[in-house]
Amino acid sequence: MTDDLDLTSDERHTLTCVLDELIPRSQDGRFPAAGELGLVAYVGRRMRQRPSLRATVRERLAALAVDARGRGASGFAALDHGDREAVLRQHEAAAPAFFAELLVEAYSGYYQHPRVLEALGLEARPPFPGGHRVEPSDLAVLLGSVRARPKMYRPG
Amino acid sequence: MADETVDVLIIGAGASSAAFAWSLAETRMNVLCLEQGDWMNPSTYPTTGMDWDARAHGDFAFSPNVRRRAEDYPVNDAESPIAIAMFNAVGGSTITYAAHFPRFHPSDFRARTLDGVADDWPLDYARLEPYYTTNERMMGVAGLAGDPAYPPKEPVLPPVPLGKLGETIARGFNALGWHWWPSDSAIATLPYEGRDACVNLGPCLTGCAQGAKASTDITYWPAALRRGVRLKTRCRVREITVAANGMVDGAIYYDADGAERRQKAEVVVLACNGIGTPRLLLNSRSRHFPDGLANRSGLVGRNLMFHPYAMVVGVFPERLDGFKGPTGCGLMSHEFYETDASRGFVRGYSFELMRGVGPVTMALWGLSSGLVPWGSAHHDAFATVFDRTAGLLAICEDLPDPENRVTLDRELVDGNGIPAPKIDYQVGANSRRLLDHGIARATEVLQAAGALVTSSEAPMRVAGWHLMGTARMGTDPSRSVVNHWGRAHDVPNLFIIDGSLFVTAGAVNPTNTIQALALYVADTIKQNLANLFD
Repeated sequence: MTDDLDLTSDERHTLTCVLDELIPRSQDGRFPAAGELGLVAYVGRRMRQRPSLRATVRERLAALAVDARGRGASGFAALDHGDREAVLRQHEAAAPAFFAELLVEAYSGYYQHPRVLEALGLEARPPFPGGHRVEPSDLAVLLGSVRARPKMYRPG
Repeated sequence: MADETVDVLIIGAGASSAAFAWSLAETRMNVLCLEQGDWMNPSTYPTTGMDWDARAHGDFAFSPNVRRRAEDYPVNDAESPIAIAMFNAVGGSTITYAAHFPRFHPSDFRARTLDGVADDWPLDYARLEPYYTTNERMMGVAGLAGDPAYPPKEPVLPPVPLGKLGETIARGFNALGWHWWPSDSAIATLPYEGRDACVNLGPCLTGCAQGAKASTDITYWPAALRRGVRLKTRCRVREITVAANGMVDGAIYYDADGAERRQKAEVVVLACNGIGTPRLLLNSRSRHFPDGLANRSGLVGRNLMFHPYAMVVGVFPERLDGFKGPTGCGLMSHEFYETDASRGFVRGYSFELMRGVGPVTMALWGLSSGLVPWGSAHHDAFATVFDRTAGLLAICEDLPDPENRVTLDRELVDGNGIPAPKIDYQVGANSRRLLDHGIARATEVLQAAGALVTSSEAPMRVAGWHLMGTARMGTDPSRSVVNHWGRAHDVPNLFIIDGSLFVTAGAVNPTNTIQALALYVADTIKQNLANLFD
């Protein structure tokens, strides 16, 4: 995946840390964190399709850095987990539209990634052409009482 | 630049026009269809790629305002709690429909006589019955005979499988003693007429790469083209033109290069759906029709009906394999379809089972509903819902209200500068009671089936799939736009064949009835060729 955001390496690292907070590694380790999957490139590509959001990404990343420094850290990445989450909650309240877009893209990218699909117990493949096998039901049994009902429709 | 004059010009290449064109073709008339969209390529449908689930929210979203393909036109639906859903291509919205394909009930054509509301249709179930049968053969409808909710009928293919999820919900209905039945589905469950059998891909609503779902680009249209009908794509009609004698004589459209062209015709047939047809009529103003073509009644665009949907989702303790099998086809219930005065409303609703969804859609639903937050609680929350949900849709009958309407937006235009439709719509009091009843009963079913928790949304916002009533049929020219066989009261060589015709909405998905009506209109035209304009 290519990163079309034109972010600096620091900005890219910060966005990766943000993604890791939005969808962290699961406690049992089965599910990777979103940043760990390299979703920064996916999010970047999606954001690029919305030019207005592209500028906003850099603005929000800069604002995160300012807030982090206010907490005595060198940047967002240097915060511990609790402070990262607190800062992100502040930003969610301050820029809800942007944050919602970011979450949509993070969730969308995460839940189509092969590693996540496999962790969910799914095959990491598109539905087509393999499809799925669904066993037929015993309709004679399931529908027995319904079939026995008198007609339910009114004449026209 | 003028083209040759054709005998019949059809605008729009969706569900109704495909059936109509196929039927009319046997007359050997010169039939041409103009479609603003293009042929779809099933090999590029979302289910062929890893991003299939995300694309359902992007270039295959229900709303043209989200999708924003070049062939789409915008719709101002800000003044409606229900957003417009449609698709523009050869096949129209059958490309993205669920293919849930029930017929109307006989009582749906007699709402005034039976229940004292709305109006009766100028035809009845018996009149349409042979056209339903033909349509179900052409589309290849799967189902099961013996449903007590309907007069006898014989599906042509065995029903789609219920799967674990469907069986679970069926047992819920059985526990309550309520009706349910395998869905009537326009899905080839066996190889049928050149179509491959369904392999239970799951997400039917983004196009069927397998070719099992009966979209009209793979059913009627190939047959119609073989019979000599011509179809020109990427041609967007701006207006229908009117001759000095008050008859229509063709259309002005923009071709694929954006060039303005004129197509002359002896007969014009509108098949642009319940939004596109009134939009085109209202945009076709002339000396004869200063308020829009065929609009002397003032009813063009009025009486817009959707089906207000209540969506009730249950979360179950175990995985249901819900993403396996056609999304919107499994089972239906007509327990609350017919009027029962004790319920506090007239008319009724049907239930349609919604299977589970893919991981992206589930995550986004969880995000919007608050069930799947970001942060440290994310994974546990997702695990409690993914592949553990089943949905019941209450498809509620909408009564016609002239204040619910389509007009032309004063500012919003499409890519060719044609005014966009504007929707003014409110859910009526009877529909509100239907929605409330549907939520309560669906909750009972889901709980009886074992759901731990349920949530509901009503009316569903992104559920304006069924677009009806905006150029309705009738015998009285002051109370309807077209007569009992789709001919405009005001213009004897103008016909309408899409959902705009509907007098009432029924409480089931309308495509089977739309197509049966189109076949009926075509047949009636054939029977009246000698005196078509009398």
